[in-house]
Amino acid sequence: MLETIKAKRWTFLFAILTLAVIAFMLRERYLSLILCFIAINSIAVTGLDVLFGYTGQVSFGHAAFYALGAYGSTLLSIRLGLPPLLTIVLGSLIATFFGIIIAFPASKLVKHFLSLLTIAFGQMVYMFVSVTDKLTNGFSGIIGIPRISMFGYTFKSTQSNFYLLLAVTILVLVVKQRIIHSRIGRAFIAIRENPHAASGMGINVRYYKIMAFAISAFLTGMAGAFYAHLVTFISPDSFMNTQSNLFMTMLLFGGIGTVTGPVIGSIILVVATELMQSFISYQMLIYAFFILAILFYFPNGIIGIYDHLKNLAISRKNRSKLTPANRSLSNQTSKEAD
Amino acid sequence: MIIQLIIGALMIGSVYGLVGLGYGMIYKASGLMSLAQGDMLMIGAFLGMTFYKYLKFPFMISLVLTMAIMFLLGMFIERVLVTALLKKGAQTVYVILCTISISMILQNVAMFSWGSNMMQFPSLFKRDTVLIFGHKIIPENLLALGVGMFCMVAMHFFMTKSKFGTSMRAAAQDEMAASAMGINVSATKGAAWGIASMLAGGIGVVVGPIFGVYMAMGAMIGQKGFAGAVVGGYGNMYGAIVGGIFFGFVETFISAYLTSSYKDFISFAVLILVMIVMPTGLFKEQVME
Repeated sequence: MLETIKAKRWTFLFAILTLAVIAFMLRERYLSLILCFIAINSIAVTGLDVLFGYTGQVSFGHAAFYALGAYGSTLLSIRLGLPPLLTIVLGSLIATFFGIIIAFPASKLVKHFLSLLTIAFGQMVYMFVSVTDKLTNGFSGIIGIPRISMFGYTFKSTQSNFYLLLAVTILVLVVKQRIIHSRIGRAFIAIRENPHAASGMGINVRYYKIMAFAISAFLTGMAGAFYAHLVTFISPDSFMNTQSNLFMTMLLFGGIGTVTGPVIGSIILVVATELMQSFISYQMLIYAFFILAILFYFPNGIIGIYDHLKNLAISRKNRSKLTPANRSLSNQTSKEAD
Repeated sequence: MIIQLIIGALMIGSVYGLVGLGYGMIYKASGLMSLAQGDMLMIGAFLGMTFYKYLKFPFMISLVLTMAIMFLLGMFIERVLVTALLKKGAQTVYVILCTISISMILQNVAMFSWGSNMMQFPSLFKRDTVLIFGHKIIPENLLALGVGMFCMVAMHFFMTKSKFGTSMRAAAQDEMAASAMGINVSATKGAAWGIASMLAGGIGVVVGPIFGVYMAMGAMIGQKGFAGAVVGGYGNMYGAIVGGIFFGFVETFISAYLTSSYKDFISFAVLILVMIVMPTGLFKEQVME
C-alpha cells in the first residue's frame, strides 16, 4: 500500500488538495452552491460525452433532455405529490423516452443534418415549455419545487445537497467507466471511428446508437431533475440553446471521450461564469472565444494538453536511456503509456 | 384578407428561401454547414439601418453598400477561419461549432455597437398602405418580396449564364476536375460564402422596416431558412427557394387560422417529420451516410 502511495504521490497530493478546497468551500452557502452546480453540470456533460465523445453523434440541442428531466420531475412532484427521489428517476425516464424517439431519425442522418435535427429538437422542447402555460406556467416558471428527502431526512441546506450530488456524481462516473470498458463502450467507439467498419464487424449500429441516445438522455435528464430540486425554481430561460452550447463548450474544454474531462470542463466553466457575473453581457462573447480557442489550439481539451505534456515528459525520460538497440522500443513504450 | 396573407407568406417565404439558398450554396461549394446565416441577416439589417437612418444615404445605396460589406465579411470568415480550421484537419463537426461561435460573436458585436433594444427603420414610403386591385397592402412587404424575387432570379442567371457562376457550379460538383480545368477553387469557395452572406444581409435590410431591427432577429429566421433548405433538398438552390416559400405559407396560414403561439413549434415539427420521412427533400439531394 505504501508503494502505491509513493508511486502515485502526485495523484494523492492532488486529491488531498481538492478535498481541502472543497471542505473550505463548504463553509459558505454561496460557494457550496457553486460546488453543487459543478456536480450537476458534470453529470449532464457526462451524458453528452457518452453520445458525442464516445459514439460520435453530434448533439447541439442537449438542453432539451435537461429541460425534460427538470420539468418532468417538477410537474410530477408538484402536481401528483410524489416524493422527489421518485420523480427524479421518472423525470430522467421521460427524458430517456424522448431520447429514444429522437434516436430513430437521428441514427440515419449524416453529421450535418444530425446537428440540425438536434437543434430543432432543442428548440421544440424550449418552445413547448414556454408556450404551454397551463402545464408549465410558461415564462413565469414554477416555484416551490420540493427539496429531496430520503428516509425522512430532507436535504434542506446547500451543503447537504452537495454531499448527495457528490455521491451521485461519483456513482455516475463509475458507471460510465464500467460502460466504456465493456462491450457496449467498445461498440460506441467503433461506431464513432467508422460506422461502416463497425457494421461490418457485426455491430448493430442502429441499436447501439439508440442506446447511446438513451443513456445520454437519462444522465442529462437526471442532472436537470436534480437542478430543479436544488434551486426550487425553474423557468424556460435556463433551457435555451445557450445552455446546449454551454454543455458542448464544457465537454470540449475538458476533453471529449474521457472520464474526468466533463468534470474539468464543468469546473472551469462554472467558475468562469461566476467570475464573469459583473460582465454578464460579455458572457456569450467569452464563451465564443473559448470555443474558438479550443477548436484552433487544443481540440482535445485540457485532458489533451495534460496527455501531451505527459507524453513529452515520458519520451524525454526515455531518451536518456536510449541505446541503438532499444531506440525503436522507446517509441512504442511511450505510446502504450497513454 | 387572403391577399394580404398570401403576400405576407410569399414575403417571409422568400426571406427563408434566400437564407436557405445561402446555406445550400455553402454546402455545395465546400461541403460544410454554416449556422451563422441568420446572424448575417441581422448584421445586414443593422448595417442597412445605420446607413439609411444615421448616415442619411438613399435606401438603394444603403442596400447595395450593405450587400457589398456582407460579401466581404462572408469571404473573410471562409478564408481566414474555416480554411485555417480545415488545414488543421478538423472534422466537419468542429467547423459547425466554429460557425456557432461566429454566430455568438456577431450577436454580441451587434449588441455592443447598437444596443440590445429593438430599433426602428424610418419609414421608406410616404404612405402606410397602397391600394392594389382594391386590397390594402403594406408597401414594405412588396419591397421585400420584390428584392427577394430579384435576388433569386439574379442568382439563377449568375449561376447558369455567367462564367464565374458556372465555374462555381463546376467546383461544387468536383473540386479536382474543376481545378484541373484551371478554375480557382479557393476563390469559388470564398465567393460562395460571400454570396451567401450577401444575400442574407441584403434581405435583412429590406426585412428590417417590417419587423424592426434587434439582436435576436436572425436566429429564428436562420433556422427556418435552414429548414426550408432541407425540405427542398439540401444544397439545391431551387429547392431552398421552394422550401422557404413552403415554410412561409405553413407559418402564415397556421398563424392566421389555427394558433399563433405554436407556429414555430409546428414549423419545427414539420421539419423533423420531413427529416424522418423524406430526408432527401423535394429535389432529392444526398443526405444519408
